[in-house]
Amino acid sequence: MKKTSLIFTAIVACACSAQAKLNVVATLPDSGSLAREIGGDKVNVTVLAKATEDPHFVDARPSFVVSLRNADVLIDGGAELEVGWLPPLLQNARNPKIEVGKPGRIQASEGVRLINVPANVTRAAGDVHALGNPHFTVDPIIAKAIAQHIAQSFSALDPANAAFYQGNYKKFEATINAKLQEWGAAMLSFKGQHVVAYHDSWPYFAHRFGISIDIFLEPKPGIPPSPSHLAEVIAQIKAQHIKAIIVEPFHDRRIAEKVASSTGAKVVEFSQFPGGLPGTDSYVKLIDTLVSRLAAALK
Amino acid sequence: MWEVMFWPIVACVLLPGLLVYLGLHVVQRGIIFIDIAMAQMASLGICLAVLLHLNLEGWTTFAIALGFTLAGAAIFSVTGKRASQIPQEAVIGISYVVAAAAAVLLLSRAAEGDEEIKNMLVGNILLVTPREVWERFTLFTAVGVLHFVLRKNFLLVSFDRDGAYQKGLRVRWWDFLFYVVFGLVVTSFVRIAGVLLVFSYLIVPAVCGINVAQRIANRLLIGWFIALLGGIAGLFLSYWWDLPSGAAIVCTFGALLILISLLALWKHRRGHSVEVQDSQ
Repeated sequence: MKKTSLIFTAIVACACSAQAKLNVVATLPDSGSLAREIGGDKVNVTVLAKATEDPHFVDARPSFVVSLRNADVLIDGGAELEVGWLPPLLQNARNPKIEVGKPGRIQASEGVRLINVPANVTRAAGDVHALGNPHFTVDPIIAKAIAQHIAQSFSALDPANAAFYQGNYKKFEATINAKLQEWGAAMLSFKGQHVVAYHDSWPYFAHRFGISIDIFLEPKPGIPPSPSHLAEVIAQIKAQHIKAIIVEPFHDRRIAEKVASSTGAKVVEFSQFPGGLPGTDSYVKLIDTLVSRLAAALK
Repeated sequence: MWEVMFWPIVACVLLPGLLVYLGLHVVQRGIIFIDIAMAQMASLGICLAVLLHLNLEGWTTFAIALGFTLAGAAIFSVTGKRASQIPQEAVIGISYVVAAAAAVLLLSRAAEGDEEIKNMLVGNILLVTPREVWERFTLFTAVGVLHFVLRKNFLLVSFDRDGAYQKGLRVRWWDFLFYVVFGLVVTSFVRIAGVLLVFSYLIVPAVCGINVAQRIANRLLIGWFIALLGGIAGLFLSYWWDLPSGAAIVCTFGALLILISLLALWKHRRGHSVEVQDSQ
C-alpha cells in the first residue's frame, strides 16, 4: 500500500514537473535562441518566423495561433518590427497571460536605448518603427540585457527553476564577455570603415564594432532601390573605397551584385537571426560568422 | 482546433455565396481579371491616403478608396462597348498594371515602411475577426437583395447583351451599377481574405458550374456546393498540415476543378458511347 502511494506520488510529481515546463513563444529566431540559452530543457520554445524570412512580413499559419493560445510566455521585439503580422495573431489567440504588461509578456526592447528614433512621431515622420530602429539583437551587449530580462521573467514565472535560469544567464554572460574581446580584436583594424547594407538593419552591430553601416541600397526602408539612388550609392562606394555590401537572405541579391560588379565591392551575406546562415544555430555562432565574414571582406 | 478555425469557417460559409453568383456574371462577360483590377484601384486610393497622412481606419480613407472604385467602375462601363476592336480584358489588364505601378510610385514618396499598409490591403482568412465577418455579411446581404430584386436586368445585361440593347435598356448604366456594387464586394473581401482567395471564389465555382450544367440556377447551386466544399476542406487541410490558409483553399479549389472536369469529361464520353450504341 505504502509502495503504491509512493509510486503514485512520484507519478503526480512527474506529471506536475512536466506540466510546469514553460511554454515559450518567440516571434523571431534571435530572441528564440536567447530563450533556449536561458531556459535549456526546462522550457519549450516555439519560434514563429523562420530565420530566412523577412521579419517585417511573416505569413501566418494555424499553428501560430495555437502556439500563442497555449503560451505561458511570449517574447516579441517590442519595437514594432512585427507590427504587420503579430497584432492580428494576438487578437485571434486571445491569451490574457501574454498581454502587454503581464509577467508572461517579454518585450525585448524594454530597457534598450533604441537608435534612430524619429524626432516627430506623426504619420509624416513614418508611421512604422516610430519607436526607433528595431534590429537591436545583433549587438551582443544588448543581447546580454535581453537574456537577463528573459532569465528574470522565467525565474518569476517558474520560481522552482530560478537558480537554473540565473545560472544559464551567468554562463551566457561569461561567454559573451569573453567573445566580445575576440570579436573586438577581429574588427579592430577596420575601425571607422564604411559598409553598405541593403536595409537599415545594422546600426547596433556597426556601433558595437566601430564601423559605420550608413549607406543603403533602399532609398527608404521597405522601398525598392530606384536607378538614381543606386547611381548615387555607386558613386559613394567609389569615392569612399567601400569594400562590402551586406545583404540578407530575403533581399534581392542581384541588385547588390549589380552594384558590386560596377564598383569592385564584395557582397557579404548577413543574417540577423541564428539559423539564417549555415552553421549559425546559436547566437554566439551567428555573431562569430558575421564578424569573420565581414573581416574577410574588409581585408 | 475549433477555437482557432471557427471564425474562418464561418467566413467561408457565409460570405462566398454572393461571390459565386457574381462570378457567374464575370465569367459570362469574359472579364476574368476585373476583380483584381478593382481591388488594385481601391488600394491605390488607400496608398494616396497614406501619402496624405490620413488615418487609415477613418472615413476619409474609405471615401477615397470608394472614389477610386467608382472611377474604375466608370472606366469599365464606358469601355465595355457593344462592338469594339479592343477586348474589355485588355482595358482591365491595363487598369490593373497602371494602378499597381502607380501604387508603387506613391509609396516610394510616402513615409518609411509599408508593412501596415500591405497588411491592411491584403488580409488573411485565418485571422478574421467576428466583427469583420458580420460587417461583410451585412454588406453582402444588402448587395444580394439588390441583385435579386433587379435580377432580370442584371442577368440580361450579362448574359444577353444584344437582347438588352434591343429591349432599350441603358446598358452602360446597368454596367456601371454592376461594377460599383462588384467593386464594393471584392474590395471588402480582399481586405479579410487576400487577392488569391477572392479570385478563386469568383472564378473556380462558376467554371465548375458551367462545366456541368446549363441553367443558371443549376450552375449557381453547383458553384455554391463547390465553394462550400473547397473552403471548408481547404481550411481543414491548412490546420492539419499547418499551411497558410488562403493558399491551401486556393489549391483545394484547383484540385476540385480538375476533379469536376474529369467527371464532366467521363460523363460526356459515356453519354457519347451510349448514343453510338443506340444508333447501332
